[in-house]
Amino acid sequence: MIETNVFFASIFFGISIILPVLVSISRPIARRISMACAGLGLLALADISLRVMITNSAMTLNLASFYKELSFELLIDRLSAFFILTIILVSLAVLIYSFRYVEHLKKKHGKNIAVSLMNLFIVSMILVVASKNLISFLFLWELMSISSFFLVYFDYEQKTTGKAGMFYIIMTQLSTLFLIASFLLVYSSGNSFEIRQMPQNAPMASVIFILAFLGFGIKAGVIPFHKWLPYAHPAAPSNISALMSGLMIKVAIYGMIRILLTVLPKPLLWWGVLILLFGTLSAVLGVIYALKEHDIKRLLAYHSIENIGIILIGLGLYVIFKASHFEALAFMAIAGSLFHTLNHALFKSLLFLTSGSVVMATETKNIEDMGGLIKNMPATAFLFLIGAVSISALPPFNGFVSEYMIFYVFFNTHVLISPFLKILLVASACILALTSALAAACFVKAFGTIFLGVPRSKHASSAQEASKSMIIGPAIIAILCALLGIFSFQIFSILGFNFPIPNMMYISIVLAGTYLIFFLLLYRASKIRVYETWSCGFPLSNGKTEYTASGFSEPIVTIFRAIYKPKRNSTKEFYDDSNVIVSHGHAEMSLMKFFEEYLYAPVLKAVDFTSGITARLQAGYLDLYIVYVFLGSLALLIAMGVLT
Amino acid sequence: MNELLIYSVLNILAVILISPFFMGVIKKIKAWCQGREGQPLLQQYYNLIKLLRKESVVSSTSSWITRATPYVNVAALITAALFVPVLFVPSGSTLFGNLILMLYLLALAKFFMALAGLDAGSTFGGMGSSREMAFSAILEPVIIIIFLALAFMFKTPNLFEIFRQASAVGILYAKPLLILLMVSLFIVLIAETSRVPVDNPETHLELTMIHEGMVLEQSGKYLGMMELSHAMKQTLLMAVLINILVPIGFSTALSFYSIAISFAAFMAKGTALAAVIGIFESSIAKLRLFRLPVMFMVAFFLAFLTIILEVYG
Repeated sequence: MIETNVFFASIFFGISIILPVLVSISRPIARRISMACAGLGLLALADISLRVMITNSAMTLNLASFYKELSFELLIDRLSAFFILTIILVSLAVLIYSFRYVEHLKKKHGKNIAVSLMNLFIVSMILVVASKNLISFLFLWELMSISSFFLVYFDYEQKTTGKAGMFYIIMTQLSTLFLIASFLLVYSSGNSFEIRQMPQNAPMASVIFILAFLGFGIKAGVIPFHKWLPYAHPAAPSNISALMSGLMIKVAIYGMIRILLTVLPKPLLWWGVLILLFGTLSAVLGVIYALKEHDIKRLLAYHSIENIGIILIGLGLYVIFKASHFEALAFMAIAGSLFHTLNHALFKSLLFLTSGSVVMATETKNIEDMGGLIKNMPATAFLFLIGAVSISALPPFNGFVSEYMIFYVFFNTHVLISPFLKILLVASACILALTSALAAACFVKAFGTIFLGVPRSKHASSAQEASKSMIIGPAIIAILCALLGIFSFQIFSILGFNFPIPNMMYISIVLAGTYLIFFLLLYRASKIRVYETWSCGFPLSNGKTEYTASGFSEPIVTIFRAIYKPKRNSTKEFYDDSNVIVSHGHAEMSLMKFFEEYLYAPVLKAVDFTSGITARLQAGYLDLYIVYVFLGSLALLIAMGVLT
Repeated sequence: MNELLIYSVLNILAVILISPFFMGVIKKIKAWCQGREGQPLLQQYYNLIKLLRKESVVSSTSSWITRATPYVNVAALITAALFVPVLFVPSGSTLFGNLILMLYLLALAKFFMALAGLDAGSTFGGMGSSREMAFSAILEPVIIIIFLALAFMFKTPNLFEIFRQASAVGILYAKPLLILLMVSLFIVLIAETSRVPVDNPETHLELTMIHEGMVLEQSGKYLGMMELSHAMKQTLLMAVLINILVPIGFSTALSFYSIAISFAAFMAKGTALAAVIGIFESSIAKLRLFRLPVMFMVAFFLAFLTIILEVYG
């Protein structure tokens, strides 16, 4: 049964990847067959992973073995199955969305390749998560990175895409570098690439952990390694952004959790503190940077950084409570972290997909040029709103439940013994609260500026509702967001966990019940008259007098001016000599890019400098290189002679 | 289960019915402070009934968000009312009483209120929403740290359990640190209910307004529902403060007499607190907008101090 499923899945995936490249017709039929095949393949896999997830069993599958350690082996246990299910759910919705989205893209060529790469990307993510040994993990990890790199490059004619793609590929290679180092250390401890428990020797374990944390952290977009996200996500087409932001960075989270659970199951306390600190920093700075963004996709990318931060806070709590021997709380923390991973995958892809429809309809990514879209695009607006409510962690949706689980662990801080840890956790909890409130503020801004009020540009006022497939895809995710929130308690019980989380089903019944009662009571209570907005006699028609997105975030920029360091420049020209009547003027405000200016730029300079020196060695003459090789071998021989 | 049902109905009804009264008391006290006679104590009830019957004018720019928001607000606040017992605590229930969930229900109401502020496209609404979201964001850590401090002191994050422990005699004597915490909670109460140093509930002047800006476009039954939910939010926060600080008369059992006593006691204490709020509002000037974080920091500091003393003490 399992074999047939895997067999069919492989065939479907194979067709979905190869077909669009082989058939070079530009008509949509090949792409559609390919996407349908990918969907069928996902469904075949969904069956297996659901069964593993519910029965808490594990299954292994040997695909191919080449030489001793070099083999492709899959292992699907509960953790893998959970991530595979997450990938399947989001990918299915993205595939449905792409059905029409890809056809609407303005580019003439490359659509076939893009579809093929997208399917490859999805398959490689699933295989990474299911890898049984580190070699196949690394190989598939690279496949995932490279296929997504080409997808980021889809719009290669645009200038910004080039920079985004380069930034992405360099950061992702850096991440792989740390991973290779970490995995080699795992190998050297027992001459095996199997993902397995390390023997207990503390210093090596810490090094492995740090290297893996750096490697996965870069890929997940943990601050300060986050800079590639806000470049790469807006550059890619929206369906790809949804996959990258919703899923790919979660694969990095999977890696981190796998290392913590399987390879190093007895974590040290200070690792937890480290993870917690990075998580808190990412969460709060991610949302603070998101607030200043007006490019909708970049705004969402910063929110991914924020949510990765929240996931890491959960992981940090897990390690801290685990190392302090509070197993139940530790388990709750990691469950909250995992649940938030799933939830973020869902609502972030929902937001990316719906904003993709908006960007397509208005032909701009700048939310300042949108406005009033709720009238022309009601379905998209409603779906975006569900995403916004979920990501703002408002009950009864899924984002709330996972944040609640993390808060619950924070509220049990008093069981810890160390006063330092208590104070640290309290501080972190406060910052988490700030983060989630700022996220709500940011999504009020985003939804308000995009969908409410008066259209601010021609494109916005003539926008058309998205095609059916571009509504059905996100709608599936939106329904899941609601269901996972409302029935969270029941779902956890089915899986065999009894967490002290509120039964959101009752809360939802009360909420919906009171809404209905008041609606019915007051339905006929009074008349409703439609009239224009009160605007002190000043016409609203063109949207120029509306509150803008930058106006909306202005109080927050002022409050957090220490972080933003806003620079205001304004020049005024006057009609009269005594400088009273302004004829025209120019004003601009720029905010500091701290990490770019103070972290990335110096590193770049240093690399530039050293490569300037090493470039002199590369004269381009063959005889010179032979001398290098000779000198190098000589040095090695002498060194070996000295050492032995 | 039966007891829980009685509790739910009683608590929700009590909060809905009491809330406008406290609003009226504050208005009355403020009027007295200004040397005016002031409106009758029950005027708020008449206002509400009038508003709920009156014709609503809805902006032609606005969408269903404006019309759904008042219902969402009332629904969220009524659900939140289940989490703060005002009359008695039902025994052995963990379904409600969850502080974090209550906080996020209030956030749900606020989220929609801010959206409705932006819906009509008016500058006033936008200004109100923007300020509300900014200042409630920096107030959020203050609220969480107060709740964390409560969890530290009472070893539970459940409000029912906290109230039960608090009503054991001599809580203030045993935990004098609570006074510090309640000062923070008072500041939160002032800020969350848009009262004077933070906001001015009386004016529609764009320089001062936060909350009023957001509901400027609401009218008729919609405005009535917004005002009702605002009053309910005030009662809930007052109840947290009262039932922890002075739990005298608060009932932990379900019986007619104890609930009657509890109701009378709550009304008396609530009226006293409302009077304090009224006097506080009258004796202080509105703070400059960007001075508000300083005030919130005071509340934050006091709560943090409580935790530090609790951890090291």
